[in-house]
Amino acid sequence: MDLTFEEKSLWVLFLGLLGVYGYYFSMVLPTDAVNVMPQHKVLFAVAVAYLVASQVVGHILIAIVDPRDETDERDRLIELKGTRVGSWVLAAGVFITLVVAVQTEGNFLFTHVLLGSWVLSQLVEIGSQLYLYRRGA
Amino acid sequence: MGKGAPRISNDIRALRFARGEMTQQELADRIGVTRQTVNAIEGNKYSPSLEVAFRIARVLDLPLEEVFQYEEN
Repeated sequence: MDLTFEEKSLWVLFLGLLGVYGYYFSMVLPTDAVNVMPQHKVLFAVAVAYLVASQVVGHILIAIVDPRDETDERDRLIELKGTRVGSWVLAAGVFITLVVAVQTEGNFLFTHVLLGSWVLSQLVEIGSQLYLYRRGA
Repeated sequence: MGKGAPRISNDIRALRFARGEMTQQELADRIGVTRQTVNAIEGNKYSPSLEVAFRIARVLDLPLEEVFQYEEN
């Protein structure tokens, strides 16, 4: 495929988010925990570290393969459109999180619904941008 | 933009070849966009801003309406 630097960067972020948080949620859920436990915090910190490391390594590799780090008006338009789609998902997630926070005991569930909403909104935002790149804009 | 029948079409691909077989990358460098954006414009998948459209016309040394055509649907 003929990808711009921005598109390659989005793929690295999309796969990083999917892999790291997919693993995190598969390890944390399902659970009977009512509150966030120390092992959840450790796993979350490790997940964030893996995500940062994957992005650094991924972007170094992209820069080696494609040194042209350029953006133009089409990149900015696609970013705006993707952000708009992702913001709807995040807004819905925040509303659902509020309902969960009011209706459930402890902090585990609402914390993870909020985190899940953010991850989902990011995946939708980046996924829609990748779709727009393939469609043209 | 990019959805349904294109309303703005162009002859950039043919005009590039008529200007000494200018490559997409050469045109992209001269108008300040990526080569992929030039490719999307040529394929009628993306309608550029007026600024970029004027830059393309200037590089090809033609009036804007000879590079881009607007079709009423």
